[in-house]
Amino acid sequence: MNISDIQARCDRVPFFRFLDFTITQADETHLLAQMPFAQRHIGNPILETYHGGIIASFMEAIASICVLDDLNAAPAKPINLNVDYLRPGFAGTLTTRATITKKGRRMASVETEAWLEDEAKPVAKALFHFLLV
Amino acid sequence: MSAINNKKNAERFAAIAELWNSRAKGLILEMNLKIEQANQEGVQIRMPFNPDFCLDEEGTMLHGGVLTALLDSAFGLANFIAIDSIESMATLDLRVDYLRPAKSRADVLVFADCYRQTRHIAFGSGKIWFDTGDKEEVARGTAAFAITRGTSGSFLDKLNTTGPDK
Repeated sequence: MNISDIQARCDRVPFFRFLDFTITQADETHLLAQMPFAQRHIGNPILETYHGGIIASFMEAIASICVLDDLNAAPAKPINLNVDYLRPGFAGTLTTRATITKKGRRMASVETEAWLEDEAKPVAKALFHFLLV
Repeated sequence: MSAINNKKNAERFAAIAELWNSRAKGLILEMNLKIEQANQEGVQIRMPFNPDFCLDEEGTMLHGGVLTALLDSAFGLANFIAIDSIESMATLDLRVDYLRPAKSRADVLVFADCYRQTRHIAFGSGKIWFDTGDKEEVARGTAAFAITRGTSGSFLDKLNTTGPDK
């Protein structure tokens, strides 16, 4: 899968356009994307940090694309998620990396990490399960 | 609880809800949330259908992330209502089960409550359904929050006095 095809697939999803991320790297088991900060992403009105739900949504979006074998296939069905919020999500470009931990015929488990400037200081980590059938 | 206390509480809950609505910003504003209930029992919030939150151009199905964001927002309000003099709050972790496809154009309803609070931690639980009459749950979530209790100037007071357009 090449990056521009993946991006084109993402751009057809209204909510992905709302998030406004760009796919930057892709291989068999990883996907990397960047999302610029926007007013509509704010959660805490005083600190003006990212809404936790936006960070989780961005990670879920990248994880769901990561497990697709075929870009024309129906989207993977999310079963559940577990997010760890590790640091405040201050305004800035957020990067997410999704890694497939296990992919079977029916199920996939995907780990994600999101960070601002320093990959060693993640803002959040999450685990997603998807149903592939 | 005495009638006077009840009245005092009701006034406090209404004031928090009013403040939360009036100072809404960013995603909360985009979601166009309406508080339907906010008291000791928990909070109930309504989110109208929004095609921008959908997976498909036809707007038949909401993205799961929107439900997660809605739960997180509702937990926040539930904490403000349940916890006196909360100074700051940070989500530690959040777990969500997607029970059914979010396939409806009906309004989305979320109920959340803070079911346990300690000095430093608050635990929340919530559920989401469409306003279609059958009340079938679409998602369920739980979260833990790190809270700081203030002696003076709660988070809400800060919202009131140091917000961007004050």
